[in-house]
Amino acid sequence: MRSIEGVMYQGNAPKGVDPDSIFFVQVDTDKCEACGTCEEVCGTGAIKVINDDEIRQVVDPAACMNCGQCLVNCPYGAIYEGVSYVDELFEKLKDPDTVVVSMPAPAVRYGLGECFGAPTGTYVGGKMHAALRKLGFDYIWDNEFTADVTIMEEGTELIGRVKNAGKEGTLPLPQFTSCCPGWVKFVESFHPELLPHVSTCKSPIGMLGPLAKTYGAQETGTKPKKMYTVSIMPCVAKKYEGMRPEMDDSGQRDIDATINTRELAYMIKKAGINFNSLPDEDPDPVLGESTGAATIFGTSGGVMEAALRLAYEVLSGQKLNDPDIKVVRTHEGIRAADVKVPNFGTVKVAVCSGLSNAQKLCEEVKAGKSPYHFIEIMACPGGCVNGGGQPIDPDVRASLFRSMIAKVNRRYNARKPEA
Amino acid sequence: MKAMKMSRRGFMKACGIMAGYAVLSVNMTKEVFAAAMNMVGMRQKQVYDADAHIYKVRKSQDNPMVQKIYDKKHGFLHDGPCGHKSHHLLHTEYKDRSASIKALKSKGVTLSM
Ligand code: SF4
Ligand code: SF4
Repeated sequence: MRSIEGVMYQGNAPKGVDPDSIFFVQVDTDKCEACGTCEEVCGTGAIKVINDDEIRQVVDPAACMNCGQCLVNCPYGAIYEGVSYVDELFEKLKDPDTVVVSMPAPAVRYGLGECFGAPTGTYVGGKMHAALRKLGFDYIWDNEFTADVTIMEEGTELIGRVKNAGKEGTLPLPQFTSCCPGWVKFVESFHPELLPHVSTCKSPIGMLGPLAKTYGAQETGTKPKKMYTVSIMPCVAKKYEGMRPEMDDSGQRDIDATINTRELAYMIKKAGINFNSLPDEDPDPVLGESTGAATIFGTSGGVMEAALRLAYEVLSGQKLNDPDIKVVRTHEGIRAADVKVPNFGTVKVAVCSGLSNAQKLCEEVKAGKSPYHFIEIMACPGGCVNGGGQPIDPDVRASLFRSMIAKVNRRYNARKPEA
Repeated sequence: MKAMKMSRRGFMKACGIMAGYAVLSVNMTKEVFAAAMNMVGMRQKQVYDADAHIYKVRKSQDNPMVQKIYDKKHGFLHDGPCGHKSHHLLHTEYKDRSASIKALKSKGVTLSM
């Protein structure tokens, strides 16, 4: 176990292990203070009282969607991660025979700066690219590129479902997004009958892994076997996704390692890199360049807005002059919106974050009462900027300070009658 | 001496009768959540600011590298989005995992759904 940006990690880098058997998050029973915050934020009920002291634990990996919300919200820092590829990655970066490829998600660049003292949410995309280069990554590819590719694939899929609705062999509406592995495991576990509604598209990282080892290998003249692809995520569930057995369409493992924002910050510090003095740098060509539509994947409503920027133009045959589609921007919870598209009509959409909210939309679809064409779902409230792998909000632990005072008072008061 | 032998649960219960503690404990979860959502709003705002002011191109279909990969003649994905090669590399199938949930429930574990 070691502490990484205030969170404990087991140094466990599994290979060829069934991810369904792994506790990606677990409660350290010695640190648990039985406050119950984790149980309250967990959408599935996976984290439960296990003894008379009301200590909590994740009861079974099958019940846990790996979102990490319990972890980022625990005021005592009592919840640890069960998987960390940091040591293996340091080794690979040193090995001259391994071509190490970076694949950072959109939301990482809105959290990483916080670990170096920047105000909450500061965009540090350019410095992040520079830091990855300094760490020794051979190709600075960027998951935002495949967020754009996801829009092309998922948008095209949606337009197909809408245009051919009711025809034989067409997948049903509404179409659900498939970017969030917490949500994907949720629908697979609790609503398998809805799987035909889930976009067949892999997530952006699910696409970048195989593209790196095929297209990227081709363009750079690298042997795919020598490549080591590193998914860098604001997330815990992406560790599970990277290990899914079917993720080997490139002929190799598509994703060799997954780390999160906290672990990247730790590595930058450990390597002695002065993050704040780094210049802004660009990613490397072919699999690096991205757009505003890609960066908004990091927030609830972002995938929807990005997809609508494409769907509007394809369905109407007209240019979308103002790319801002503010009606779908969602702070938390569920939001429904009608988007008028010329030459087509109304596109009905819903955006939702948090698994208990997802449950409501699933029930609606099952009851045949869902009016929507497209539904975006993220497991973490507010989307990936609030992911389980992001830096801990100091205010969450500040409430620990308040709660400690409460505890001291409590002990004092409890002893009083005895005294 | 009695207090020292109490289990933690008993201890918490003993404390629970004090109104002050009850209020504090309820507020802590709420406070943690409110703090987190405030942080989320700030991060979200930065995302939209970057979209509007930092990124020069704002639609996926206008990304020059996207146009290159889907180029009808020379592109790696020349048969277009949802084409043959995309289907192989970029699309997937899902797995029904409900059996393990059923197994858990039959062991007596109660889940939220
Ligand atoms: S990671 Fe998410 S699903 Fe798993 S126990 Fe924690 S809150 Fe619940
Ligand atoms: S919302 Fe984002 S960070 Fe949270 S589980 Fe889903 S993909 Fe991961």
